[in-house]
Amino acid sequence: MLITIISIVIIDFINLTLLSRPANNSSPHKPTDHFPFGSAGVPIKLAGIDIGSRSIEFVILDSETTEIIDRFQAETSIDLSKQLGLIRERYDWGHLVSTGYGRQLAQKVLGGDVITEIKAYTTSAHHFHPTIDTVIDLGGQDTKALSINRSSGQLHKFEMNDKCSAGTGKFFEMMAGSLGLSLDELVAEALRGSKSVEINSTCTVFAESEVISLLTSGVALADIARAIHEALLTKLVSLLSRVIRSDSGEILFVGGGAKNRAMVQLLAEALNRQVIVPPHPDFYGAYGAAIHAIKSV
Amino acid sequence: MNPLFNDDFQEFPLKRALAQVMSKREAGAKVIGAYCSYAPVEVVWAMGGVPAVLCAFSNAPIAKAEETLPVNLCPLIKSSFGFIELKTCPFFELTDAVVGETTCDGKKKMFELIQEHRPLYVMDLPQCPTNEGAVAYWRHSINGFKKFLEETFATTISDAAIEESIRECNRKNRLVEGIFAFGACKPAVITWQEMYAVATYAMSAQGSDAITQLEGIIATLTTRQEQKQFTSPEGAKRVLITGCPVGGDVLKVLRLVDEEGAAIVGLDSCTGLKPYANVTEEGSGDPLLAIAKRYLKIPCACMTPNTGRFEVLKQQVESLKPDLVIDLVLQSCHTYNVEAVKVESYVREDLGTNYLKVVTDFSQQDLGQLKTRIAAALEMN
Ligand code: SF4
Ligand code: SF4
Repeated sequence: MLITIISIVIIDFINLTLLSRPANNSSPHKPTDHFPFGSAGVPIKLAGIDIGSRSIEFVILDSETTEIIDRFQAETSIDLSKQLGLIRERYDWGHLVSTGYGRQLAQKVLGGDVITEIKAYTTSAHHFHPTIDTVIDLGGQDTKALSINRSSGQLHKFEMNDKCSAGTGKFFEMMAGSLGLSLDELVAEALRGSKSVEINSTCTVFAESEVISLLTSGVALADIARAIHEALLTKLVSLLSRVIRSDSGEILFVGGGAKNRAMVQLLAEALNRQVIVPPHPDFYGAYGAAIHAIKSV
Repeated sequence: MNPLFNDDFQEFPLKRALAQVMSKREAGAKVIGAYCSYAPVEVVWAMGGVPAVLCAFSNAPIAKAEETLPVNLCPLIKSSFGFIELKTCPFFELTDAVVGETTCDGKKKMFELIQEHRPLYVMDLPQCPTNEGAVAYWRHSINGFKKFLEETFATTISDAAIEESIRECNRKNRLVEGIFAFGACKPAVITWQEMYAVATYAMSAQGSDAITQLEGIIATLTTRQEQKQFTSPEGAKRVLITGCPVGGDVLKVLRLVDEEGAAIVGLDSCTGLKPYANVTEEGSGDPLLAIAKRYLKIPCACMTPNTGRFEVLKQQVESLKPDLVIDLVLQSCHTYNVEAVKVESYVREDLGTNYLKVVTDFSQQDLGQLKTRIAAALEMN
């Protein structure tokens, strides 16, 4: 069996619940380009917002340095318009681009342009990691695999999971719930577990009954936790195998799911490739939107 | 801009088709329900009958169908069956007999379940159309269908009548092709809604009325072209739709393309150009053989090999110049879903055109995700 040396970079978990938590985090990587100034020669604040069905990420970049001036993450509120209204009151920016499922509504409330998450991820991935051509995003409700042209930064091809929550981050939450664990505990168990059993379904309903029957037949919790990860891994590998090329090197893993260390490790082993998790992987949609805003400056 | 049809059915192509079938029925024509482009309508017209398309695209009867049929079956089959169970398909209620073909497994087994409702004839369709004996066998099946009609309705269908209907269908089909050819105009002068309306209309129309109507449409489109009356803005991205038949609730995919500001310039499926392409030889002396040859050229994914699909895609991409080909696959349609592997690589690598496969059903639950996919594919290049 091949043993791969995996380098995993996971830095800085962010508090999920705040609506506004201004933080002077610096840009995750050194900017690779120089950004334009505003017409008066003054750097412009570029905002990017990624509205998912579960969480919102918002960033403000400095157009000159691409330093992150401000960022926050919050759960998506049921009253999204009101939530967006608050953002409009508390922040100011020169130009804003919205992405994610709520992008259309965000445009109505906040103005600016819209791009899809797929374009946003392509933009940020290529900006911060120009040598990587394969990206996987494991989000709360969907999963995307992207193939990017390394020289042009253009999206070559993308794949998404089928319509249900099978194959997404939501799956872990549900499974942790049926084992009576928190998400962190589930991940910790999985890292301890070994591959002794299989869960065949990523349909949350079926998988739950599989998990319960494994529990009652006395299988170790850690092994069940591992099997849960393996079930989702199969989905990720099948999505990735549709976009990966023979000369692809490292894989960039972004989205909230990239914070799951067990998943990152299993993915690297399964693909026999380095899997790179950047700081703040769940902000890549918002970064991409903000970087895209440069085009409008 | 003048509409293509000057009637009361502007937004309702199916109601127009229903009115066509009803008026022919009132005039004494037998209504023959058909589920597929392989139904040899020339024979139906030769009998003085009228074909009516029974493929259904509504989500409404699916729950009813799932009381009997498996859930993981093509929605087109479930919808068509559910309507029959509920007795709410106006087209089926008008039929005097039904013809089916052994295309995909789901459909042919569904026919067994509806046979008590109407006189039904299932034509055995060879699935390797280029193999030796395929055409002769298909001719044999067509002859069986002709005999079924003759026996069911105590009539005879002469070769001369079939020859005449071949000529009429050819004439009509050339006009439909001519209308779809306007898809090549840049910017567009015809919308997908109009193409869909023409394809739906032509299925149950024949004779001089049909010719006059279709010629009128060509004149209208020519005027639009000359007077630069465009149906999409200059520079709009262009999309060709291929894959499974579309209609009703699955038109959601086409509407999402509209929402993104792109223009659909071609409908390549069985609810678009496919049933009208290819010419049947006239005056061959064996009209059933001529029909058999033409129908076996229909590039359906049920066939293997289905080389015609790639030839048609090449022609369409070359003439319509789409920025994106959307391969629309109905859930559980294995033939189109598996063929998509080859279609994707052909469209991307050989034709150098962007490609997106969309697998969907008649429900609305995947709208958000479809919107993202379609928008993302249109953002590319
Ligand atoms: S796609 Fe094939 S099976 Fe379906 S209607 Fe067309 S020819 Fe018939
Ligand atoms: S769409 Fe596919 S599965 Fe459905 S009836 Fe047509 S060929 Fe059969």
